[in-house]
Amino acid sequence: MVDGAPPFTSRGLRAGAFGVAPLLPVVVMYGIAFGVMAGAAGLSASEAALLSAVVNAGGAQMASLQAWDNPVPILAVGLTTVAMNARYLLLGAALRPWFSGLPPHQSYSSLFVMGDANWALALQEREEGRNDAAFLMGSGAILWLVWVSATVAGQVFGQVLGDPARFGLDFMLAAFFATLAVTFLRKSASLLPFAVGALAAIIAERLIAGPWYILIGAAAGSLVGALRHADPA
Amino acid sequence: MPIRPDILIAILVMGFASHLCRMSGFFLMRYVAITPRVEAWLSAIPIALIGAVLAPVAVKGGPPEWAGLAAALGTMRMTGNDFLSAIAAVLVVAFVRWVGA
Repeated sequence: MVDGAPPFTSRGLRAGAFGVAPLLPVVVMYGIAFGVMAGAAGLSASEAALLSAVVNAGGAQMASLQAWDNPVPILAVGLTTVAMNARYLLLGAALRPWFSGLPPHQSYSSLFVMGDANWALALQEREEGRNDAAFLMGSGAILWLVWVSATVAGQVFGQVLGDPARFGLDFMLAAFFATLAVTFLRKSASLLPFAVGALAAIIAERLIAGPWYILIGAAAGSLVGALRHADPA
Repeated sequence: MPIRPDILIAILVMGFASHLCRMSGFFLMRYVAITPRVEAWLSAIPIALIGAVLAPVAVKGGPPEWAGLAAALGTMRMTGNDFLSAIAAVLVVAFVRWVGA
């Protein structure tokens, strides 16, 4: 472990803000897709903006829309958010060696804007010897701003557009996950959790109404991954 | 613009859940040693979740969804660019739906 606090400077904030620029087109497209779908699910522009601003997690928000109804099933969307964001436990855990010397108001406020993209970028920065811990917050703040703006644009644009399914926008989450699957499945240890998760989800989706199949599949697949690790062979 | 009360509650609950996940991994590492088995469990969560989201799409879907998944996987394998692959998949889905398959 590194002793003492890493630097946390305004230069680091700026480096993060500029460093994240290449990722912005993806976030804009994804935010617009979410805004269009949120509008189709019955959210107003201000509700969609508030949702993106407070939750700030694209996958969880997209998945929650699958369960959206009037009134909103609170428990279902809450647990879907946990299921989709459980991976943040790992990302946060991985930051411990780097961020442990920071005062809590810096470390925890950085975590507030942590996402997959800027987490990976920040660790890459550190790997290359630039260990200014403010990079995560600088990049995260820009991502948050763009995410909320794109959501509003999508919700407003969606009014003109009509049914998002006509443009394949409802497929955005599946498309994004399929591309992630290609990367993950390069590791052979991923095959079994993937297959068990898929099978459990198909069965659960037939038996139980709502989005529970995602949680059930993720739990079943990941536990099999953990059990298999314990095998001495 | 007024915000529907049930939507406001849903947003607050989702926000709490979202940020709890963000904070607690970092927080818990102060106290918990991540054993190999715990690590294996945590690291298997993303791919299990991806399988759980994709499989019902493939099973319940028709030609547009199948073509879309194939486009996403194929483009990703060839280019390694996730943005391009997701856009290609969405366009393929829109096209096949438009053709009326």
